[in-house]
Amino acid sequence: MPPSDPALSRKVSIVGVGETDFGADYQAERKRPEGWVPPTEESLLTNAFERALADSGLSREDIDGVTCSFTYGGPPAEEVAKMLGIKARYAEANGNIMAGPLPTACAAIAEGKADCIAMVFAVASRSAGRLFGGMTHSTGGVPDPDGEGGAPASYYYFHPWGWSSQAAHWALIFAHFQWKYGVGEEDLYHVAAQVRRHAMARDNAVMRKELTLEDYLASRYIVRPLHLFDICIVNDGAVCLIIRRADLAKGLAHVPVDVAGWGYSKIKQNKMHTMVREQLRPQLQAASTDALAMAGVTLDQIQHFEGYDASSFHLINQVEGIGFTPPGTGLAFCKDGQMTVGGRIPTNTSGGNLSHAYMQGWSQVVQAVRQLRGEAGQYQVPGIEVSMTNLAQTDQTHPIVYVRGDR
Amino acid sequence: MSGETADGPRYIGPKRPDRTLGGNHDTFWDWCGKGELRLQRCGNCNHLHWPVTVRKCESCGEQAFTWEPMSGRGKVVSWTTFQQDYYRGLMAVPYDTILVELDEGPLFMSNPQGFSWQDLSPEMPVKLAFLDAEDSAGTFKLPVFERG
Repeated sequence: MPPSDPALSRKVSIVGVGETDFGADYQAERKRPEGWVPPTEESLLTNAFERALADSGLSREDIDGVTCSFTYGGPPAEEVAKMLGIKARYAEANGNIMAGPLPTACAAIAEGKADCIAMVFAVASRSAGRLFGGMTHSTGGVPDPDGEGGAPASYYYFHPWGWSSQAAHWALIFAHFQWKYGVGEEDLYHVAAQVRRHAMARDNAVMRKELTLEDYLASRYIVRPLHLFDICIVNDGAVCLIIRRADLAKGLAHVPVDVAGWGYSKIKQNKMHTMVREQLRPQLQAASTDALAMAGVTLDQIQHFEGYDASSFHLINQVEGIGFTPPGTGLAFCKDGQMTVGGRIPTNTSGGNLSHAYMQGWSQVVQAVRQLRGEAGQYQVPGIEVSMTNLAQTDQTHPIVYVRGDR
Repeated sequence: MSGETADGPRYIGPKRPDRTLGGNHDTFWDWCGKGELRLQRCGNCNHLHWPVTVRKCESCGEQAFTWEPMSGRGKVVSWTTFQQDYYRGLMAVPYDTILVELDEGPLFMSNPQGFSWQDLSPEMPVKLAFLDAEDSAGTFKLPVFERG
């Protein structure tokens, strides 16, 4: 992905967004009524693309680029372009999680490789029955490109002790935080409950039932001290973003949303220390500082935040790490209503990965667009001009800043 | 043979998910087999590695490792207890894992031996022990930790 560069700020706007019917598709997968056909990456991405195209008001002929991001499988980018009826002069497979893809596509437009790109993400991991831990999620002895020559990523190194999975990372980080700051599981409940309240206002959210403290505490543990409701859902779906050269983005169906800044930080050494003892703060600080500087805005100007809530506690890591609230105060901050509309930083106002849909960071971008357009319904942030999303895994973080294109 | 007991620590069986093997990983397990916990020290910048690195120092990029014996002393920094059966029955749930800060600095993921998560307290001292374990590559000695 391209480094933070003020010269690339606001050169590209998001002009169309589309998502599949996460809630309805999830219900169908659970019930599997007669004649139910599992979705494929192709069927999902086509649906999201058609919706994004309609949302943008553009015609197919206006689009001259395609990027594809599939977590597992999926057709090559050239094939996707053909499938969607796009004459693409730029077609790239572009990551999977919403980390590098958007800045990379923005840079491609800035370099003249395309004027308007349809970026599609699709995942069918639920219908495929994928587990996010154990030996199914391993390099299986194949050198991992991130493993610096043969060691699997730290996630999967600890199999002989029975330690793996995304959930275990956040559980390990939270267990240390509990000791350090003297908080309990019921304090963490407020994060899952707040995100759930946001999802309840969304028609296409997967989880729309109010989450009570009793439900939360009675739910099974996945990896103690984290409960079921602390972990993101796994669902099938697709997201499409249509991005266009900013000077061509005016006068369309909606206010364009400019991609104003991005940052990236990856910690390569002492990962466990950075995760557990420092709660990922060093890379969150480094990356968000770069993103804000590129966008030319200050943290105080960020009015809405969409974080990567792979777990409830990870959202607190981000809110604290970026600096919306000091270290150790995130759970009280959430309980106090500071992470919803009317508070300091309305966060994951669509219901996030925990309750809306787990689209590996892509739905967070859609929600930033909806907020900046004024389309966020019950949890619309009034008068919003600047928003931030952040993808953060255990060893890398990637914030993006968005500004309304008419400001 | 495993699982939560009313008043005693739970016992985790010897069958384990597969180790990462090959090259320097083998060296690590060979030392464990001799009852020693040894980690790689970079001869150039002094950085102490964990997990095992195969190619180069994660700190300075050099490749001059020596295998340094650890004292086996440490303290508990964090813990997790697995209820989800990620290993499909290979390790009966629930089972405990602890993150131990070795006296030499690295954070070492392990299992508690002879105690469970209810017994834990912040910075609780622990000491190294080896458990006879087995994976698809054969039997091996697994570094675990007892109350220190």
